Amino acid sequence: MTVAAPAIFLALAACVAFALRKRVNEVAWFSLATVVMTFIAVSVTPVDTAARLLDVDLRVTSLGRLAGLVILATIGMLIVDVLLDEPAYNFFPTALLVGAVALGVLAVGSPMIILALLLLGLLVPVGAFTFQVHHNRSVEAALRHYSFVVLGGSLGLGALAVAAGLPKDQPAPTVVLLMVLLFVSFALMLAAIPFHTHAALLAGEAPASALALYFGVLVPLTFIAFAEILAGSGLLPAIVQVSRVQDLLVAIGLTSAFGGALLAAGANDLRRLVVYAVISNLGSALVGIATLSGPGIIGGIATALVTGACATQQLLAAGTLERRAAGDQPNAATAPLAAAVFIAGGIAMIGAPPLVSFPGHFFVDLIAYAVSGLAGSTLVASAILLLVAQLRAGVRLFAGTPEDWHIESRPVAGVLGSIIFLALLAGGLAPDAFLRPIAEFADEFLKVLRPL
Amino acid sequence: MLYLGLIALVTLAANSATRLRVIAILFVGIAVTAAIIAATAATGPQVAVTAAAGLAAAGILFVAARDATYGEDPGWRLWLGTFTAAIVTPLAYASFRTVTGEPATLPLLQDGSGVVLEVAGTWLLSSGVAIMLTARSAVRVSLAALILVTGVQLLARLAPEPRLATTLVLAWLEIVVALAGAFLIVNERVVRDA
Repeated sequence: MTVAAPAIFLALAACVAFALRKRVNEVAWFSLATVVMTFIAVSVTPVDTAARLLDVDLRVTSLGRLAGLVILATIGMLIVDVLLDEPAYNFFPTALLVGAVALGVLAVGSPMIILALLLLGLLVPVGAFTFQVHHNRSVEAALRHYSFVVLGGSLGLGALAVAAGLPKDQPAPTVVLLMVLLFVSFALMLAAIPFHTHAALLAGEAPASALALYFGVLVPLTFIAFAEILAGSGLLPAIVQVSRVQDLLVAIGLTSAFGGALLAAGANDLRRLVVYAVISNLGSALVGIATLSGPGIIGGIATALVTGACATQQLLAAGTLERRAAGDQPNAATAPLAAAVFIAGGIAMIGAPPLVSFPGHFFVDLIAYAVSGLAGSTLVASAILLLVAQLRAGVRLFAGTPEDWHIESRPVAGVLGSIIFLALLAGGLAPDAFLRPIAEFADEFLKVLRPL
Repeated sequence: MLYLGLIALVTLAANSATRLRVIAILFVGIAVTAAIIAATAATGPQVAVTAAAGLAAAGILFVAARDATYGEDPGWRLWLGTFTAAIVTPLAYASFRTVTGEPATLPLLQDGSGVVLEVAGTWLLSSGVAIMLTARSAVRVSLAALILVTGVQLLARLAPEPRLATTLVLAWLEIVVALAGAFLIVNERVVRDA
């Protein structure tokens, strides 16, 4: 029960928050207190604690605990931002429920339950995406998100159910077909290119805090769930024998990495830039997983987790800059601290040292070169394009003279962004604490891949 | 065999309906037929949980309609969805029955080998995908989503995974899918009426 308690606690708190949602201040503080208590509970639960709930095995893994703590910290920051900067009554129950689902996904061992829970989590923010429905296309964006998530999730669940029901030693075409279905399913949920249209629409229409909840929490969680499902699906040993499957995953990853970077370089607003940068980074992370190697898996998961934190930092800053600009072009003059943390988040997003985002990118690029020169070159080209995109945004933001700058009176995004940046810096200076739990998962993944 | 025909007919009827309330009522037919098919591979309480979730989902859509006239006319999209499902189902079945090579029997009522379960699940999945890809509003997107989840519930019976937990989590998923769909239907209507 210790394993499931934090998730159940958060789910119950979400119900309470939903019942009291119109009392924004009280619910915000209640949500924050709940997240802090859950954070403490998760951090003191020993690794390898196991339990059985209903007929499902639950276990606290090193990666599960690390990802759970990162996700809870991110949700806590989002709650603070929404409370102080952008009050929205429907955000708090959504955030708590997303946290509960995330902890569930990270503790459960059955691939089908993981994917079903993930699907629940991805559907929860539909309410938070719908915003000022008379003035924008947020309903259309939410509807498209709903379609992509249900379509992808159902295809994935169907593929897993069929894979689990089939006898062993299936012929190659059957394995390829099932893996293609599973990959397409996750490509739809991760908004990998060319399945990214819902993410592009969301970037323009949904509130920044809801976007941060999706791209900062749920998208990295989806990526980790993908790796866990691959490891638990029983299909991994067959993948090694069918090289086409591996090639397919590398191709999806490279297309997403390069395509996302290209779109980011051409993006004309801050939120689209962040969303496309996330898509690009997750493409790189997919390439890392596709190499089916230790460094690739470590690099891929590290990149996904850090990208979530960077996306949160940049999206909150972008939201503040847009609100202060009041319809004009966002500029550092109205919110210099937010502009500064937006740039800092961009530096982290491209994987620059000494931040903790560097090792993940470095591992993936290195192993991609080992697999093929084209894959490595494509990832480096993507990183350069992302750098150009972030520089363009920086030049636009800081156009003008410092004399025009007015330090914001309540620099919420600036302070939260600084905390995230310092955490990324601390992680970069002592990367072992961050990378070791991921390496333990990679070790388990490789054991499943090559059981002998 | 009889149930396969039945589920194909109710899916076609739900797909062709132009009013959301009629769609919701016909979805009850899909959920009940799916529950009868699932009964060959699941315990009574598990089937009851799944059927109850289907009824609840249909009820949510019925309430979201607000009046009897609101809906979406599928037009030619109805036939695209039907033919896609009719083509994909045998292809998928042929692809996933590759090892034993034993001829599958299709009894009129009982389904000891799981063939009806698999074919019905694949039919619902392919129908759901086709309806979703051709839908123009939240009405048919929600119908497609519920059909997809019902198909998954059937296919999940084939897996030796944790049965009780899978049943419960998929039942909750169906209700959340219906709630999110209803939320989108209501909001979309607000925008259209404005």
